[in-house]
Amino acid sequence: MAESNHWQLIPLEDFARPSAPASTLVQKVLIRLRNLVGGDADEDSTPEDQDFPHYREFDVEPAVAAVDQAWSELESVPKVRFVVSPPFSGSGAILRQWAQQHGYQQLKIPSIEQLESADTEDWWQAQKCERWLLDEFSSFWLRTTSHMQFVRALLPRLLRGELGEGVVVVDSWTFAFLQRAWPLSLPHCYCFAAATPDLLRQVCIEGSDKRLRKLAAKARGNMGVALALWALERDSERQAPQLPREADDGTAFILYALLLHHGLRGEHLQWVLPMLAPDQLDVQLLRLQQNGVIELDEEGVWRTTVYAYIDVRDFLAARGYWLDGF
Amino acid sequence: MDTEQFLAIFKEINSAVLIEIGVVIIASLVFIWCSQKLLPMLANHLHGKQRLFVLALIPTVRVIVFIFAIVWIVPLVIEPTARNMVAILGAAGLAIGFALKDYVSSIIAGVVAVYEVPYRPGDWISVDGTYGEVKHIGMRAIEIVTPDDTVVFIPHLKLWSNLIHNANNGGPSLMCVVDFYLHPEHDANRVKHLLEDVALTSPYVQLAKPIVVVANEEPWGTHYKLKAYPIDPRQQFQFMTDLTARGKSCLRDLPVSFAQLSPEHAAQVGPY
Repeated sequence: MAESNHWQLIPLEDFARPSAPASTLVQKVLIRLRNLVGGDADEDSTPEDQDFPHYREFDVEPAVAAVDQAWSELESVPKVRFVVSPPFSGSGAILRQWAQQHGYQQLKIPSIEQLESADTEDWWQAQKCERWLLDEFSSFWLRTTSHMQFVRALLPRLLRGELGEGVVVVDSWTFAFLQRAWPLSLPHCYCFAAATPDLLRQVCIEGSDKRLRKLAAKARGNMGVALALWALERDSERQAPQLPREADDGTAFILYALLLHHGLRGEHLQWVLPMLAPDQLDVQLLRLQQNGVIELDEEGVWRTTVYAYIDVRDFLAARGYWLDGF
Repeated sequence: MDTEQFLAIFKEINSAVLIEIGVVIIASLVFIWCSQKLLPMLANHLHGKQRLFVLALIPTVRVIVFIFAIVWIVPLVIEPTARNMVAILGAAGLAIGFALKDYVSSIIAGVVAVYEVPYRPGDWISVDGTYGEVKHIGMRAIEIVTPDDTVVFIPHLKLWSNLIHNANNGGPSLMCVVDFYLHPEHDANRVKHLLEDVALTSPYVQLAKPIVVVANEEPWGTHYKLKAYPIDPRQQFQFMTDLTARGKSCLRDLPVSFAQLSPEHAAQVGPY
């Protein structure tokens, strides 16, 4: 299997996004121009009841093997390792599987009281263990002054090794925010290498090299997004969701908050966006849901959909937002 | 130069030439009108640098079309020799010097403004104490809209002698400063870090730009200035409101008391 495994866990600084062919870039510019002049008025393209095909879940075992291979080559095991995960890349699921196989305990997230009081010790003592995995680093805290203090108290403890040996899975958007919020750059950061035509074939996506390169570039090297785009391509009757025409500053705030925190419950969204009135927030959320841009999962958490992710990222980029590095 | 010599400068103008001149003028006006309608429409769909770039094209396009029309029309009317040009410019200069000095000065300043770019559409400028967003740059004057939605016309003439304060200078970065006045008994470093976090956790903040807190001790307490940039200059007032509201709330929770100015400190102290 080792010879045909194209998954690679690499140091974060080695990540290179696949470059898009000229035809893809031209197509992107044309779509942008069409949107600017209002040519996207295909109202039926994203109806409320459109049932998108769910993107395929891939076999995580080869990816787990890649993690093993990358970390077995290390001369000394660092106290804490960070795995930076672009949305929908599946890194969380891979690392959970890896942790299970290696006896790493999955840490529980701190309570609101512990976050508010920045009490990292109380949180740690309740589940103290030698080796652990913190896979919900992006979702347990909120972008508020009190929660920032918890994060700032936790990070130095992790780096000093006070909490033993562990692995932290952090969303790429949270990681980008932390780089701004915390002056010290985090050491031992890893990520999965961008999807290549060979890797796409490994997860059963078929097509010529050119087509797969185009797909990988369109998905920004993100495996989950590539699978979703491929599923859409195969179904000619389906179209990717589009941001509503009414998308404004409020829409951008919501989408950025959802990406930053790996999805949020309605009340937590209100918490981080206090300037939006509850009814305004509801209208925005429902409109985005109707357009297939976000979805509400069974736990009541709003998340951007994998099909809309690239558009959402472009939307935030056009508005000058602080983006992830993927 | 007598009248006969002066008239000899001009070519014979027949109906074909008149029609050609008319067509050039109308085409130029239509082109300028279209650019002034279409480019702002396009800019409204864009944000940040792209929006400001498209807006900045408007006066540039107008000047280019204007020069193009002049270059087309002048040889149709006069023989473009050096002697004739000197004669025409001399006569025009005399008329302008006496009758239309300020008007022409404004127009020339408008042309200068196109390449010196002290302001562009989309910039937030302050001239003679009037602050607002540049909405339109005309031939003679610029239109700015103040935060109270009042349109103010400022002649380009001001460019020669007045200070033009440009808050974002063609870019999307516009610093906002929010003041907090606190009772002197508090931990200044804690307040500084808290205010930095208040800005960092604002949805409006441009994370790519620095956040700075400056403290200044006054007789009545401590004056803090929280300086940060919004993502879009148009969000500056919502951003400042957000920083003020959340800053006050966080400071109360710390807890820190706000300065209570006595009437003598609250009164404006003049130079006399």
